[in-house]
Amino acid sequence: MTLPPRLENKFSELLKRYPVKRSALVPMLLYTQDVFGYIGDEMVAEIARRLDLNTLQVTETLVYYSMLRREPAGRCHVQVCTNIACKLRGGEKLWEHAQKRLGVGHKQTSADGVFSLEEVECIGACTGAPAVQVNYDFHENLTPEKLDKILDEFQAGRKPSPAPYIIGSIHERHPAEAPVISRRFGIPNSRKIDVYRKHEGYQALEKALNEMTPESIIEEVKKSNLRGRGGAGFPAGMKWSFVPKDSPKPKYIIANADESEPGTCKDRPLMEFDPHQLIEGMVIAGRSVNSYQGYIYVRGEYRYVLDIMDEAIREAYEHGFLGKNILGSGFNFDLCTHTGAGAYECGEESALMESLEGKRGYPRIRPPFPAVVGLYGCPTVINNVETLSSVPSVILKGAEWYANLGPARNGGTRLFCISGHVNKPGIYELPMGFNLLRMINEVAGGVRGGKKLKAVVPGGSSTPALKAEECDIPMDFDSLAKAGSMLGSGGVVVLDEDTCMVDFARRIMKFYAHESCGWCIPCREGTSWIKKILDRFHAGGGRAEDIPLIDEAAKNMFGRTFCPLGDAAAMPTMAIVKKWRHEFEEHLNGRCPYKPLDVPVGV
Amino acid sequence: MPEQKTVTFTINERKLTVPAGTLVIEAARRTGIEVPAFCYYPGLSLQAACRMCLVEVEKAPKLQTACTLVAADGMVVRTDTPQVHKARKDMLEFLLTNHPLDCPVCDKGGECELQDMTFRYGLDKSRFVEEKLHSPEQAWSPVVYYDAPRCILCFRCVRVCDEGMDVKALGVGQRGVLSVIIPNREDHLECEECGMCIDVCPVGALTSGAYRYKTRPWEMKYVPTVCAHCSNGCKTTLGVRNNEIQRANNRDLSGINKDFLCVKGRYGFDFVHHPDRLKQPLVRRNGTLQIASWEDALAEVAARLKTVRDAHGPDAIGFIGSNRTTNEENYLLGRLARGLVGTNNVDHHRTADYGALVQALGESAGAAQAGMEQLGAAKAILLIGNDPTNQNPLVAWQIRTAIRQNGARLYVVNTEEIKLKRKAAQFVRVASGAEALIAQWLATGEGDLELDTSVEMMQLRGAMEKERDAVIVFGAELRGAAIEHVVKFGASLPGQTRYIALGDYANSRGASDMGLLPDRLPGYVWTSDAAARDAFGKLWGASLPEKTGLDSRQMLAAAARGALKALYVVGANPFRTFGAGGRPAGLDWVVVQEMFLTETSRDADIVLPAACAYEKDGTVTNTAGEVQLLRRGLETMGTRTDFDILRILSHQLSKAGVGRAIPLRTPEAALDEIRRSVRGYGVSLPGLLAGGAERTAPLAPANGHKLIDVPAESIFSPRDTLFTSGTLGRYCTMIHSVPEAKSES
Ligand SMILES: Cc1cc2nc3c(=O)[nH]c(=O)nc-3n(C[C@H](O)[C@H](O)[C@H](O)COP(=O)(O)O)c2cc1C
Ligand code: SF4
Ligand code: SF4
Ligand code: SF4
Ligand code: FES
Repeated sequence: MTLPPRLENKFSELLKRYPVKRSALVPMLLYTQDVFGYIGDEMVAEIARRLDLNTLQVTETLVYYSMLRREPAGRCHVQVCTNIACKLRGGEKLWEHAQKRLGVGHKQTSADGVFSLEEVECIGACTGAPAVQVNYDFHENLTPEKLDKILDEFQAGRKPSPAPYIIGSIHERHPAEAPVISRRFGIPNSRKIDVYRKHEGYQALEKALNEMTPESIIEEVKKSNLRGRGGAGFPAGMKWSFVPKDSPKPKYIIANADESEPGTCKDRPLMEFDPHQLIEGMVIAGRSVNSYQGYIYVRGEYRYVLDIMDEAIREAYEHGFLGKNILGSGFNFDLCTHTGAGAYECGEESALMESLEGKRGYPRIRPPFPAVVGLYGCPTVINNVETLSSVPSVILKGAEWYANLGPARNGGTRLFCISGHVNKPGIYELPMGFNLLRMINEVAGGVRGGKKLKAVVPGGSSTPALKAEECDIPMDFDSLAKAGSMLGSGGVVVLDEDTCMVDFARRIMKFYAHESCGWCIPCREGTSWIKKILDRFHAGGGRAEDIPLIDEAAKNMFGRTFCPLGDAAAMPTMAIVKKWRHEFEEHLNGRCPYKPLDVPVGV
Repeated sequence: MPEQKTVTFTINERKLTVPAGTLVIEAARRTGIEVPAFCYYPGLSLQAACRMCLVEVEKAPKLQTACTLVAADGMVVRTDTPQVHKARKDMLEFLLTNHPLDCPVCDKGGECELQDMTFRYGLDKSRFVEEKLHSPEQAWSPVVYYDAPRCILCFRCVRVCDEGMDVKALGVGQRGVLSVIIPNREDHLECEECGMCIDVCPVGALTSGAYRYKTRPWEMKYVPTVCAHCSNGCKTTLGVRNNEIQRANNRDLSGINKDFLCVKGRYGFDFVHHPDRLKQPLVRRNGTLQIASWEDALAEVAARLKTVRDAHGPDAIGFIGSNRTTNEENYLLGRLARGLVGTNNVDHHRTADYGALVQALGESAGAAQAGMEQLGAAKAILLIGNDPTNQNPLVAWQIRTAIRQNGARLYVVNTEEIKLKRKAAQFVRVASGAEALIAQWLATGEGDLELDTSVEMMQLRGAMEKERDAVIVFGAELRGAAIEHVVKFGASLPGQTRYIALGDYANSRGASDMGLLPDRLPGYVWTSDAAARDAFGKLWGASLPEKTGLDSRQMLAAAARGALKALYVVGANPFRTFGAGGRPAGLDWVVVQEMFLTETSRDADIVLPAACAYEKDGTVTNTAGEVQLLRRGLETMGTRTDFDILRILSHQLSKAGVGRAIPLRTPEAALDEIRRSVRGYGVSLPGLLAGGAERTAPLAPANGHKLIDVPAESIFSPRDTLFTSGTLGRYCTMIHSVPEAKSES
């Protein structure tokens, strides 16, 4: 079959990236869809042929990913996020408005074929909420009126300019901030290699290659108390040290840029403003475990970020920071990006590797852990973008300096994405252990409209919400664990007194039910069951026995699922039932008593 | 052998010592401790998806899945704590939230693992009041149906089709709670239609088109017997109700085939009830076949045989036996031909040269024949000729099992790119008909191979020479001396080498073993061997002819010349198999024991309606030399077993003065005589009765007979496919209903 040249070129370029052809599958499908608007049977067969797969293997993979379509959509595919951060700022109203305005519903296309509409899960624009994606363009901080204007433009055949960058990432620095990994945000052309180099760029790599051994790099990272920023907070240096040194197999470094935990949008600016920082961190990580190939797994929705990364990688090759014999050290390291196609579960490290191998994103049985058996069965280090982006600073400024930025066992700084009912939503780099109340009241400008604080989700939707009175707490892994929650991914979602916690729990569960991969029974059935109960409950059909039922169903999932997604769904639910049980009871008379504002404020 | 490492751990306060690497679920089950599981299926890859097998492990913060937990020294496991019981209950509650609970109308009701587990561990009351997901049942093929709401997504079907069958026709669609199993062609299957996916399905999500809504499991009687089709001898359990076979499967995983059955074993039983079945004897009168009574028909057969023998001598009569009748029946036929009539004109359609293999192996023949189990456990397999996927499905399954479970290496020499090539460590494609040359080259290094082939063969031989435990499997392409060559090559390998010759039909091997051959008595002793002749003669009360008889082709040729006057056929279709010309003109008289009017029986003078394999007791021997018991599952009124026909006939003949009647009254009695008198058949009766496959240990002294190249006209494979089965296959309606069968013929 002859393909349009740009697709043909993309395919042949993609096929060069992987030692195993099948890895190219998901990107090939997504790029096919970009060209044709959908993936037809002919292309399924063609891709199968090119990858030596049968068509079922292609179909099976295709239908797993929520961005991939087998039917055409509109020329402008309007994706409205209604997940928590957007919801709290009017996302659901925007969604209703969009349906009315376009006269179509979820996954429907307008008669003229111009628009199709989809209600989507968190797109990583939480500090710019409410947000909409039209095709790959982000439009943020929207109101129904602003959305109308944007749609008018599209209707007229024009392309309105998207948000220039993620809203909330560039702002006046608060004095309490400690910019380390975000220190180059806002510098003009910060993503260009020259600018990066002018601002200490690639100096850490030079140091690592010329002055350090792989062992001493790992030692330094260990000493820095740098803990994983993807959610679990596992010490990065320790993880690297698990890679078997004498294994004859190739070793891989993966940057997890799947960023999909609702409330989290920090990897996006880290890559869009400072792609070289991530590259530098990955090369150093590669050196430490003697790996010569890295992949950056970027969620499919972040296409422009992926393009930025690709360009930065090109520059880095050009300047000899990637490729053969880097800086004359004899060390070789290749790096490329890989696009996902819509699946939260693919952020889970083992599911990510399955996905990167071109399969459905099912998690793997552990042990063995990725450090020993990872991508293509080889030892693999996988870290979050923020974790890897912190590495150059650790190396350049020293472990001690870095560790001392935070409290014991919690080195460095964190990018906190503060969203929801605050006056100044934004991404702020603060030292580990920074007080949560201060974060809300001082850094993010306080609860909007002078309302009272009701609850805070401290680290992405899976972390148990804290009651207002629990918020006087240092934001570090250990303190939050002690408080029965987690520091998680850095997504701080603030809820004011008008928020309905039943509705909030419902929206959280809707997300996990949508994103459950379906592999294991408790998560697959539990998330969907609890969602159905919460739907009914919030809509006025609640029964007294539903309250313990919701709690028990969540408890019955907890700790028994195949991967932590089940826990991620159960934990916030259990916490809300426990801490806000009275709100459930208030719903029993058939009506939700809360009147949330749910509109953008302070924009 | 290095001592196997073991570990000792505790389960429910019991100390167990097991080989290192044993999964806790296996260790528990072997000690009789029940650990419920849906996704775990021995032999398939691990999933840990259903979470039914959660157990408590001391010092572990969470419950662990016993299906992935490897027993370790000092580990303390508990499967019977309140926490574990609750977890099981909760898991079932989750599972039942979307399960339709239509058990009363579900085919699986009564033998459903979900039903059983709910009964044993589940709640009695549902807390689920929301709407369940609905979707209609789908017909993926005439024999495979899928009901998505019942599916519990254990992925057993997907794995068995991929890992077991290497077909990869099933996958998973959608995700999360919407996940479903999907077939490879959007809304239907294009596959081998083996139905393995149905057998492994723990619930009623995959059901058999042959059986759907026909009956309930408890209304059938179950008859374990052996599949009537190919030579591999899979055990199949017939579900019989009202004298009708409702289904055939192997859900209890017994027999040499364990999990496996192919489309023929599972669906190829309906020939039994085919409307064309002959149910009354037919005798040709005034040029047409007319209904006759059994008494008249048999009396006429005896009278005519006597007449021909008296007029033209015994060698004017020929006997062509069957590839599908039992050992006892074959033994009786040989005894009748040689002992009563007095001729060595005895043969059958030979589909493998078993005699040559037995003779080439000499003293070691017993040990050097691989059984199906040994094939599945082999470390290396050399396959020359044949296409096991189509012709010998269990052999193909065992080869895949060896590769999958022991990392065995497969070497294939074939003229076609057969499907097993995908699994081969090395595949050498050779010119059509070159297999014997390859055998010679392997044994002697001599023979003109094409340059490419010889380079590849050199590599193959090099690889084989490093193998310690090999099975050499070959098809009818190798005969006579070529087999001797292969055995010589095998003997030159450093480790142990075993062999399987691949024949084609359910008792091809037994027909050979029982001496339905013009030059061999039962157990491959040559008719020229006076001592052997005497021994059988004494047993049979006759003096046996020495001179080599005519083979099938020669009989037909002699008949055409008028030298052979009468032909006695049992369960064979020689006019089609050996000749294009139909009934030879010079043949005075033909009698056929048959189930159907075939190209042969329709031209016969007398047709005796025979019972089929599922309607008789007896034994059959598979291509690997393993004897198994057939059990009668039902009867078709009006038919008689070939055994009874031959037995009664012997009495009639004897009454007419032709030889001594055969005194063996039952197949058991005949088996007893076989076990005592046929070399290699001293198999264990208790073993057989227990449903085992008993290995024969044949031994065929050369007695001065050199193995020579046998022409392909004498020994050849009909090359049946998964969807054909010789003449019998034409009456398997269900098999014809699948689209793949159509594209075959
Ligand atoms: C359901 C689920 C989704 C996840 N999504 C992400 C993600 O989007 N990005 C990420 O970095 N880690 C994610 N993780 C965590 C990863 O599995 C893994 O722990 C992390 O990438 C390790 O990097 P770190 O040690 O640097 O945090 C997720 C985990 C789970 C269970
Ligand atoms: S908990 Fe189970 S179903 Fe849920 S995402 Fe993980 S593996 Fe999939
Ligand atoms: S019938 Fe056999 S080949 Fe077909 S899908 Fe089922 S397991 Fe696979
Ligand atoms: S169809 Fe049966 S075997 Fe296949 S996943 Fe569903 S329940 Fe399991
Ligand atoms: S049997 Fe262990 S999880 Fe299914």
